[in-house]
Amino acid sequence: MVQYIDNIFYPKTEAVIISPTQLINTLKILSQGLGITISLFFIVIFLSIPLGLVLTFMSNSKLGIRTRRGAEIYPLRWLARGFVFLMRGTPLMLQLLFVYFGLPYIGIVLERFPAACVAFVLNYAAYFCEIFRGGIKSIDPGQYEAAQVLGLRKFATTIKIVLPQMIRVAIPSVCNETVNLIKDTALVTTLGLADLMHMTKSLVNSLANVTPFAVAAVIYMVLIFGLSKIFSILEKKTTY
Amino acid sequence: MMIQVNNIKKAFGDNRVLRGVTFGVERGEIISVIGPSGSGKSTMLRSLIGLERIDDGSIAVNGEKFVDNGVYVKEREMHRILSHSGMVFQHFNLFPHMSVKKNMTCAPVTNRLMTRAEAEEKCHTLLAKVGLADKLDAMPSSLSGGQKQRVAIARALMTNPDILLFDEPTSALDPELTGEVLEVMKQLAAEHMTMIVVTHEMGFARYISDRVIFMDQGVIAVDEKPEEVFAHPSNARLSAFLGAVHTKEAAN
Repeated sequence: MVQYIDNIFYPKTEAVIISPTQLINTLKILSQGLGITISLFFIVIFLSIPLGLVLTFMSNSKLGIRTRRGAEIYPLRWLARGFVFLMRGTPLMLQLLFVYFGLPYIGIVLERFPAACVAFVLNYAAYFCEIFRGGIKSIDPGQYEAAQVLGLRKFATTIKIVLPQMIRVAIPSVCNETVNLIKDTALVTTLGLADLMHMTKSLVNSLANVTPFAVAAVIYMVLIFGLSKIFSILEKKTTY
Repeated sequence: MMIQVNNIKKAFGDNRVLRGVTFGVERGEIISVIGPSGSGKSTMLRSLIGLERIDDGSIAVNGEKFVDNGVYVKEREMHRILSHSGMVFQHFNLFPHMSVKKNMTCAPVTNRLMTRAEAEEKCHTLLAKVGLADKLDAMPSSLSGGQKQRVAIARALMTNPDILLFDEPTSALDPELTGEVLEVMKQLAAEHMTMIVVTHEMGFARYISDRVIFMDQGVIAVDEKPEEVFAHPSNARLSAFLGAVHTKEAAN
């Protein structure tokens, strides 16, 4: 009995230390999970940023309809803000489970990976929308006035004056959000997708050794280090 | 008549900023608009170029009305009528992410008023004119306030406007930098550019402008030649205003 308790609280050293060969094998197996993690990351980045931008413009839209009773309704703005509220107001984990297990009840059946993509894209688009909206709000009203008196139309003003200034303001927050995204991808383990986290956990179980956790931590950190480097270059490039 | 303003009115909520302003500006005339803060002079100026929407009254540029009895023409039409007006702001409003050259060429090239080559040539000429030929590729953040304002004036001149509006062009500048901006404005005055200048620079109002408009509480209280305004102010509030300005300048 004493021996048993000892084993739980003070694991034997061989449960922590592994040989170089084992380490290489660990890396090989974990890198199989990296495929899902990284492809999910890129899909989400490339889809959620444009979608976030669309939501931002909807959210700032002044398109209003006056009802017969005289009340103003702003369909685009309300739709966007409602969506953002929904996405920020519920846990990503819940959204993930909802898309995969819930949507089939209304006839939308998605495979694990597409389901994960949908949930992540929608969730991150909402956060990007808020980041971009903040960036646009930070622009001096004098910029719009200058554009107007120089004869720039609305579309040209948005493309040439508003977006470049918004991007500069948004870059640090976008960096922060993409860092979060890398770590959040670990949530897809709950759908049984074989991502980095999933591979790590099963390796720890089969080896009865916790070292893969440390290896996975290092891999996540390397990814995030590379990402923040890219963003710091972007930040320097957009400084004026 | 370059600009004809007829009985314009504008309120922000309960605050009636313009209570019926009427005046005309001939081609080549230089008008200074002075008055205490809150007198409506900035709002009046901004409404001439569509930055403020007036509630009532008419404004015509070059004989074409873009607002008639408070009713605005269509956006495209307004855009066309106002394309001959330029404006210079108190805070310059240069585009911070663009070089001086881009600041100047962006709008005319985007609107296809000139080719890129034409715009760049014009940009060179105008920068030389305001004494900043070497700042072509500089970013606005590297310029002093006076330099920024001179670039802003050059930018406004890119499309050969018939009229230039100035909204307190030297008020945001350090005192030692106002001279270089006033110098450029004097030069424009000598070339008979039509200008309406809202200003606190009494020197400019007195010695450069053809007419001085004194606004008070949303109306034009005095509209006379500068000699009359400064030598024999006919209006008690004008005297008080000039007295206050004079005292402040003496104190400085």
